[in-house]
Amino acid sequence: METVAETSKVETQAKTKRKSKLSALKAFTPWFFALPALVPLATFWIYPMINSFYISMTDWDYISPGYTFVFFENYLNLIKNPVFYEVLWNTVYFTLGTVIPTIIGGLLLALLVVKNQRGIGIFRTVLFSPWVTPTVAVAIVWSWIYEPETGIANWVLSLFGLPGLEWTSSSQWAMPAIIIVTVWKGLGWAMIFYLNALKRVPTVLYEAASIDGASSFQKFLKVTVPLVSPTTLFLTIITMVESLQAYDQIQVMTQGGPAGSTRTLLYMYYQSAFEEFNMGKATALATILIIITAILSLVQFKSSKKWVHYQ
Amino acid sequence: MNTRTVWSNTVLSGKYLLLTFLSFLMFFPFLWMVSSALKTKEEIWQFPPTWWPENPQWSNFLEAWEMAPFGLYIFNSVFTATVIVVLQLVTAAMISYAFTQFKFKGRDALFTIILGSYMLPVAATYVPSYVLLADFGLLDTYSGIIVSNAVSVFGIFLLRQAFMQVPKEMVEAARVDGATHWRILWKIFLPLTLPSFVTFGLISFVQMYNNYLWPSLIIKSEEKMLITQGIQKFFMQEGGYGLQWPLIMAASSFVVFPLLILFIFAQKFFVSGINDQGVKG
Repeated sequence: METVAETSKVETQAKTKRKSKLSALKAFTPWFFALPALVPLATFWIYPMINSFYISMTDWDYISPGYTFVFFENYLNLIKNPVFYEVLWNTVYFTLGTVIPTIIGGLLLALLVVKNQRGIGIFRTVLFSPWVTPTVAVAIVWSWIYEPETGIANWVLSLFGLPGLEWTSSSQWAMPAIIIVTVWKGLGWAMIFYLNALKRVPTVLYEAASIDGASSFQKFLKVTVPLVSPTTLFLTIITMVESLQAYDQIQVMTQGGPAGSTRTLLYMYYQSAFEEFNMGKATALATILIIITAILSLVQFKSSKKWVHYQ
Repeated sequence: MNTRTVWSNTVLSGKYLLLTFLSFLMFFPFLWMVSSALKTKEEIWQFPPTWWPENPQWSNFLEAWEMAPFGLYIFNSVFTATVIVVLQLVTAAMISYAFTQFKFKGRDALFTIILGSYMLPVAATYVPSYVLLADFGLLDTYSGIIVSNAVSVFGIFLLRQAFMQVPKEMVEAARVDGATHWRILWKIFLPLTLPSFVTFGLISFVQMYNNYLWPSLIIKSEEKMLITQGIQKFFMQEGGYGLQWPLIMAASSFVVFPLLILFIFAQKFFVSGINDQGVKG
């Protein structure tokens, strides 16, 4: 009897021990699943963000081991530099020039291919295909299309009796040329997300609008546009972030030129860091880029309360 | 046939006409790339340009192929992209499982931070990340590209969204049967949300194959270069002296076609896969 009681006592002790061990293990389980993603994310996202801000307060040149702390000097130098304002303007020009046509064009294309009619699948595939191809390679192809002497772009212009353009060799037309390539490549991506959104619009709403005597255009404005507005918000932010860090097409087609006319914030960042090795200046530009993106995203979120309708 | 059907038929054929025109416009650069690749050095400079070369120079492809190790570049890209995709799928699936199946301290804050990082330009972190890889001794290695791309925030969104639709009862039943979380993730969640895995895997593969700026900072040795670096280098070399456009277009075709072919075979996962991320069956 005694031994039985003792063993049961030992058992319960072991059980509570095991229990506390188990609960500790249980508390750790979510982290076991989260850590494989969190460790790289912290190492290559969160830490560099903070570190970047720190470097922006120094005059580090990457090669020498030492550096001096200069506080906001890099930022002040940028603010005093007229080139910085050109670059800011180029960034705004490029971002608006790509985001607006991509969003509107994506929605219109999606409207054209949303119904499952015969052969529509082929059109969807073709319209989306530019998105899957490498920007570097297609930017090379577009450089050939824009060739000022014999390029096909100027031939098309000549059909309309227009004079040929210098395209990527002209400081006026280089930016539109790059914008066209970027929109061409991004349209299909926007189209896919709008397709998804359009399919979720209840047909009842269109029927109700028809009964009320609404025209197709009114239905588009009053039913379609409000109901896909969450997708519009999502796409605007995503395309904007993409545009703010566009690099490949600029590198291939103009390298920021001619005369700096296609140098964006990100391109200037790249040049400062990996051509001039002025890490302080580069990271100061990175901070500014991050702040601009954050402000733009916030503004869109705040304003979205007025124009985004969640079902 | 009444007037109504006649009218709707006219609208329909108008729509097809418009779609054909737009599709041609979107696909034109690829056609032009191939047509230009087949021209002679003389014909390429003709203006107005000829639509299709009088005497297609198929040998241009062979010549371009032998001018640079394109086969090696493509292999390097496919290899690194595949490893990255597998890693991203595993890490995204695991953290999505944590987000949807557990309640733990700081979960929502953590998700908000990850969500926020999706809205910031990753390129802004390249200087410190580069220094970090240099400290780890990972410059000019594939490990450098792979570890720095091990997590995709987009993948976490996509899989989390899919995981939220897995019925709670299925998880509970599996728990009662004594299945571990690890087992539930790979034996229940993976099969049920497979379309999302495939869609994300393909999107990420395309993005990694097409990635240029970050790999070009890391990889410097010729034999380790990725295809995007290879084609840019070829373009700079050939563009520098006398512009061999037919050869450049032939080389561009090597880069573009593997992806177009992959896309044609897997297009339903791209085009409709992003559409329905829910659980089927």
